[in-house]
Amino acid sequence: MINNLKFNLPDGHDVKKMIRQLADTYTLKKEPAVTESFTIYDTFDWRLFNKSFILHSSGNKLFLRKLTKGELSHSVEFSRVPVFIWDFPDSELKDKLMPIIKMRALMPLVEYHSRVTPYRIFNRDKKTVVRLVHEEIWPYRSKRRSALTAHLSLSPVKGYPKYSRNLAKSLKEAGLTSCTEKEYFLNALASADKKPGNYSAKVNIQLDPAMRSDRAAKVVLGFLLSVMRTNEAIFEKDLDTEVLHDFRVAIRRTRSALAQIKNVFPTRTTDRFKKSFAYVGKLSNDLRDLDVYLLNQDEYKAMLPVVLREDIDPLFRHLRKKREKAFQHVMRGLKSKKYAQIMKDWEAFLKKPPPDSATASNAELPVIDLARQRIYKKYRGVVKTGNKILANTEDKMLHILRIECKKLRYLMEFFASLFPRKKINALIEQLKNLQDNLGDFNDLCVQQEYLLNITAELPASQQQVKKTLVAIGSLIETLAHEKQSVKDAFAKTFMDFSAPENQELFRQLFASKKNIDY
Amino acid sequence: MTTLALYSNKGGVGKTAAAVNLSYLAAQTGAKTLICDLDPQGSATYYFRVKPKLKSGPKGFVKGAKGVYKSVKGTDFENLDILPADFSLRKLDVLYNKFGNSKMQLKQMLYPFATEYRLIILDCPVTIGILAENILNASDYTLVPMIPTTLSVRTYNQLIAFCKKKRYDVAKIYPFFSMVDRHKKMHRELMLSVSKDFRGVLQSFVPYLAQIEKMGIYRAPVAVYSPESLASKSYQNLWDKVQKKILYPDRHQ
Repeated sequence: MINNLKFNLPDGHDVKKMIRQLADTYTLKKEPAVTESFTIYDTFDWRLFNKSFILHSSGNKLFLRKLTKGELSHSVEFSRVPVFIWDFPDSELKDKLMPIIKMRALMPLVEYHSRVTPYRIFNRDKKTVVRLVHEEIWPYRSKRRSALTAHLSLSPVKGYPKYSRNLAKSLKEAGLTSCTEKEYFLNALASADKKPGNYSAKVNIQLDPAMRSDRAAKVVLGFLLSVMRTNEAIFEKDLDTEVLHDFRVAIRRTRSALAQIKNVFPTRTTDRFKKSFAYVGKLSNDLRDLDVYLLNQDEYKAMLPVVLREDIDPLFRHLRKKREKAFQHVMRGLKSKKYAQIMKDWEAFLKKPPPDSATASNAELPVIDLARQRIYKKYRGVVKTGNKILANTEDKMLHILRIECKKLRYLMEFFASLFPRKKINALIEQLKNLQDNLGDFNDLCVQQEYLLNITAELPASQQQVKKTLVAIGSLIETLAHEKQSVKDAFAKTFMDFSAPENQELFRQLFASKKNIDY
Repeated sequence: MTTLALYSNKGGVGKTAAAVNLSYLAAQTGAKTLICDLDPQGSATYYFRVKPKLKSGPKGFVKGAKGVYKSVKGTDFENLDILPADFSLRKLDVLYNKFGNSKMQLKQMLYPFATEYRLIILDCPVTIGILAENILNASDYTLVPMIPTTLSVRTYNQLIAFCKKKRYDVAKIYPFFSMVDRHKKMHRELMLSVSKDFRGVLQSFVPYLAQIEKMGIYRAPVAVYSPESLASKSYQNLWDKVQKKILYPDRHQ
């Protein structure tokens, strides 16, 4: 792969003069200039950027590039700008993007006009041996007269490396600085005040092991609050399902932190906010359920025999209507006085520095000790419950274990920065496998139940609806089969998780030397 | 990767002109294309303004030789590279004879190009010896330009007989008419009868035109210096037929 060499052109550069000077040494030919607009896209949580990709459109084509070298990975033509992965035409680019962006929407981040003037440089046979491209960039819909940035790039022609080498050398000698592709795109984003990677729903905090536990808890909770606030602010746009999802996960984590980071705040305070966030979480339960059903639409259809596939459509139409209402309900909730008050009080509480004298038994404890204690205790609880299930697999117990695992997972994530990264991540990964199994089981239970109940909402008198009911029945049956196979897989998954070497790792990291009273 | 040979056991029938123009049209569709100039005369190389020089000499043309890949040059056109000719390629026949598995050398030499190129077009010299067998083995399809004259048809028959004797799949050989003069009665009549007698004749022909001969002056594919000309259209037409009948028959059903 031959990489293009890009050079920054300083403000007020005189490209004509530069070309004239080059013409003294080289035979040059100017080609017609082309003006194109281009737009950079990413998801709200920068999924492409985090994987070192940049997606941009020029004309009616989308290009996926590797950010580091600007190397083209894939490109595809489109007739309408795709927002979701399912809007893309079938292509390699789609396959590449699918596992990265998943169900997230792509948003246009910056839009530009670029004016490109290519020049060819010939050898004595009038053969093109290197291409020189002058590019100027303007922000879209701007009255700005001068270009935002300008570049000169060299693209070597295969088999003629000497020419581009010499030319690059003389451009450097003329005082031009090179510009990497990454800088090029980052500059473009920066000019529109876009900061790549400035949002992620993952717990990303750094705790000091010696920190007081109540302070550490506030750091964790403060981060979760920022996630809530960020998503709440864009909720109205209804970008994609993950805005609400991230918002809800932050709430759930907050509730879990309040319950699991024990005795760091006065009980009255903890209880009050637990209640508040239970209320906030409940606001969007219906909407999230509906989002999940609609996201899985294609999967459901695939579960049905071909003859029934069309018949299920009325169900999804019904769900989409319900979703509109549910969305408005959440919207009203987020704009309500009650919600505003809860968030205001919570913010005030988190901002307040902890009092000097401890208000709860674990408040002054170094956070590392509390973290070890809590995680290890929760872990043992999970193993114990799991072993019981191995002896007798009851649906109810699987449900309890799922909740236990979630609590353990959150604790490990809150305190991950206190432990060796590789080790704790490996353990989280193990736990994730178990959680996936339990999560699948729970989803299938809930879906079956939901489908059964939803039948009551469809007008059974209509002929069309009768067919839909048959389709729903078939779906419920498939889900039941699936449920059984997930259940069968539990034993193996759990035994992997509770394997002796894993238990040993948990012991090493978390078994605390000190006993704390709580 | 698909390999397409422009081949004939008769000289001066328009192989190189077709190879150059088809490779250009293929590259224009976005397919990364390589044209290999196997002819020591190096006409295709000349048309693309590249020096007829292989860093490795003919030795690069045997299996396992790396030198040949370094000789590939970018043409003036997007997606189109060329492996230039070299006068020493005249010894290719002799060279291949020295090796075991002597008929597969060219095919094996081309393998490593598969990752980079979607289409390889071979511009072949006049040959019917071991090099011809290397070409038949290396290419997925063979296009044979045929002037509608008795001699040309006779040589084509010789080729088919040769292939049958050596057990090459004649179904992968597609003749098309080249340098056609519609004013000549014989050309018209022969085209009719040949189309009836032989299977696989591409229903598209390249006329005898001054515009095509001017490739030597402009040193570029016809579509570059004379895009609206009949010559340019006839190559476009031929390329359409090659795509429809040979490369992607499924897409055009």
